Amino acid sequence: MPGKHGEDAEDGVAQLCRRCRENTAVLVVRTDPLCKECFLKYVHTKTIKRLETFRVRNVPSDQQRKLLLPISFGVSSVSLLHILDHHLKTQQTKTRRTGFVIIVLFVDTSTVDGNVPRDHLLHRIQERYPTHAYHSAALEHLFSVASPDITLSNLLPNAAASADLSPAGKLTALMDSLGSATARADVIATLRTRLVVARAKALDCEGIVWGDSTTKLAEKTLAETAKGRGFALPWHVTDGDSAFDVTFNYPLRDVLKKELVTYSTLVEPPLTPLIHNPTSGATQPNMSSKNTTIDDLMKQYFESVEENFPSIVSNVVRTTAKLQIAPEAASRPRCTLCNMPVEEGRFGIHGWGGDQEDGLETLSSGSSTQFCYGCTRSLPSINVAGQ
Amino acid sequence: MPPSPCALCKINRALILRPKDHSKLCKPCFISVFETEIHHTITTNALFHRGEKIAIGASGGKDSTVLASVLKTLNERYDYGLELILLSIDEGIRGYRDDSLETVKRNAEQYEMPLTILGYAELYGWTMDQVVEQVGKKGNCTYCGVFRRQALDRGAARLGVKHVVTGHNADDVAETVLMNLLRGDLPRLSRTTSIITSTPSAVSADPDSHTNIKRSKPLKYAYEKEIVLYAHHKSLDYFSTECIYSPEAFRGSARALIKNLERVRPSAILDVVRSGEDMAKLVPGSDEGCGGTCSTSIPLAEEEEGGCGSSAGRTVGSDMASMEQQLSQNENVSEAGLEVEITSKRVDVMAQRHDRLTDAVPLPPRKKGQKVKGQGAAFTPKKATKQVMGQCKRCGYLSSQDICKACVLLEGLNKSRPKNAIELGYEEQESETPKAETTNMTNGMNKVQLGPG
Repeated sequence: MPGKHGEDAEDGVAQLCRRCRENTAVLVVRTDPLCKECFLKYVHTKTIKRLETFRVRNVPSDQQRKLLLPISFGVSSVSLLHILDHHLKTQQTKTRRTGFVIIVLFVDTSTVDGNVPRDHLLHRIQERYPTHAYHSAALEHLFSVASPDITLSNLLPNAAASADLSPAGKLTALMDSLGSATARADVIATLRTRLVVARAKALDCEGIVWGDSTTKLAEKTLAETAKGRGFALPWHVTDGDSAFDVTFNYPLRDVLKKELVTYSTLVEPPLTPLIHNPTSGATQPNMSSKNTTIDDLMKQYFESVEENFPSIVSNVVRTTAKLQIAPEAASRPRCTLCNMPVEEGRFGIHGWGGDQEDGLETLSSGSSTQFCYGCTRSLPSINVAGQ
Repeated sequence: MPPSPCALCKINRALILRPKDHSKLCKPCFISVFETEIHHTITTNALFHRGEKIAIGASGGKDSTVLASVLKTLNERYDYGLELILLSIDEGIRGYRDDSLETVKRNAEQYEMPLTILGYAELYGWTMDQVVEQVGKKGNCTYCGVFRRQALDRGAARLGVKHVVTGHNADDVAETVLMNLLRGDLPRLSRTTSIITSTPSAVSADPDSHTNIKRSKPLKYAYEKEIVLYAHHKSLDYFSTECIYSPEAFRGSARALIKNLERVRPSAILDVVRSGEDMAKLVPGSDEGCGGTCSTSIPLAEEEEGGCGSSAGRTVGSDMASMEQQLSQNENVSEAGLEVEITSKRVDVMAQRHDRLTDAVPLPPRKKGQKVKGQGAAFTPKKATKQVMGQCKRCGYLSSQDICKACVLLEGLNKSRPKNAIELGYEEQESETPKAETTNMTNGMNKVQLGPG
């Protein structure tokens, strides 16, 4: 559970809020007992502080800055929408202008994932926050004729035979070719990011505001490391220029997942009806390792670390933010799947110190389809075909 | 189900499910592929040169026993022209080291390699048992790791050997990568992913000095499970007990993660190692940290690199809890805006209270304020975090400080040795609060800092 509740404090006597020193504390955040009002303010402040570059005074008077907010209907992205909605309203009231507008995008992955929220949540959220633009896009859209991503078609196990498939058919064929739950989850997440980026560009957004909490960013750091994507880590977790010509922003990077869970229940009315709860057990240890993914493992791990060592979770995220990508990196050749720039000679899983076979490293170079180390691990069939 | 044939020779029956990639192999093919891979690691990284004298850091455990056996085999098979000797460190842990040293003695005979045993007692005047009696079981790995690192180098220098190989395997390296991410220690992450480290020769004109020793890990890409399988199928004589003093929270936590990852995706251990090598290149200011992928620069050795292989912990007792406490205090301070940047050199000790998260010894001044920035981290300019290596003023060992870690730890130990008999509540206090021993060492450190520096 989020924080400790005030009544549970050692002596059983209700404590005063450490900030306002007037109200009774309802929970302990990090080390401070806080009342409800101060806690809500705390979450808002932490979030808005990350968006200082989007202040009203930074906006040229003749145009509107647009940010894309991808929503998954998880606690974090719904909370972010709530916070930004509130923030924009406040700006509007105070200055009659806003620093930016948000466009909400829901990526529908139902073709390949049976456990996704249904349309009614999108309707509900639109009713509650009506001032923003809402879009929905199916994941298979990446394979549709309207957005012909030629390189993605190369991912299909048998490109010639699958040429006639519907976009959904192509996506399903790709998923079926993957050997493990980890690979499937990894490829879905990668495609989702690509779709969000493509939509952001199509909608003329200068950046994307992701809903990742501190905890989620720490999970990602270790999960991407474990998936062999250390080379691209800064592009996955840091604010600012992404590898894709739109900025990535993580305004919730200083707020823990458990704090957002509490936040979503304390807001009035609560955000709970807007949040999709995946069929229970997603965060329970699912130790049949066949269905466990690396992402699941890291999620479980950081949920437990967050409980007793919240500052260690934040420290992981702060530390990762210090990694630096070489300035010339963006011009490097790209991975066909994740589209990340890859250093010369570092494509594929062969040809490095840990590769124990000789003579395989030269095979894939020069081809139009090339995969980074992490993606090669997830795409074993293509790996075999490449040899 | 018909028995499946070996995936490599296609003739023999497959009896081994290879941990690294789950391929099915027969016993001779497994042995040969394991050895060939290590040969490959040695040749592609140019670890050795003909005529080189190599000391194998031998503990009697599986890793170093397999390392000795494989190196002997490969040296003969491929004619490396190496002179191999065994070097053992006796930490003085009764019931653990006594037996494993007997194993090393047998190995020396089996492999016909000369053996040298060097004791902590001889080098430092303290056995680990005595250290534990003094400081308690929390934090003892710090002492052991710091002492061992120097001990191997000193032993090598004494034998006129310039190159020490250790049995660190892929699991150890992967574990260290995750652990340093969890501890937020990028410089160390970048150094420990390298297959070769070296203590710089520039700081010493004396060619026999123990500050000029090369270190390498030929088993860096070998899975622990395969090492065990190899030892089993070759019927190697090794001692299979973990150190009786258990690892600390960060390392234990990272180790559990690695084991789970391996279960979910067998390649994950190798993938973490690969990520670590790639991330080393992204660490600001790390011209040294090429992750072993470039041959021109060899990273500096870690002053106190853990040497236990399987259970090297080098942090203060209940390290996660104390780091958490420290970090959360820093957060409060930076949020309340109470932080004042102090630039005078004399107050380093004060500024370092922020850094004393993992090591109770002075850290280089360049770290000052780094972890304190807290919330503003993303907006502060990224600083290069390069260590300047010099020599310890007392023992001459490689150190980024005036006084090396071993000497600082020893001073703490020696100072309290006579007092211990009369100060009653001392030990009790230590075991209760992990901070206690930090305080103790801080006192020692204050003296050191305020003296000549």
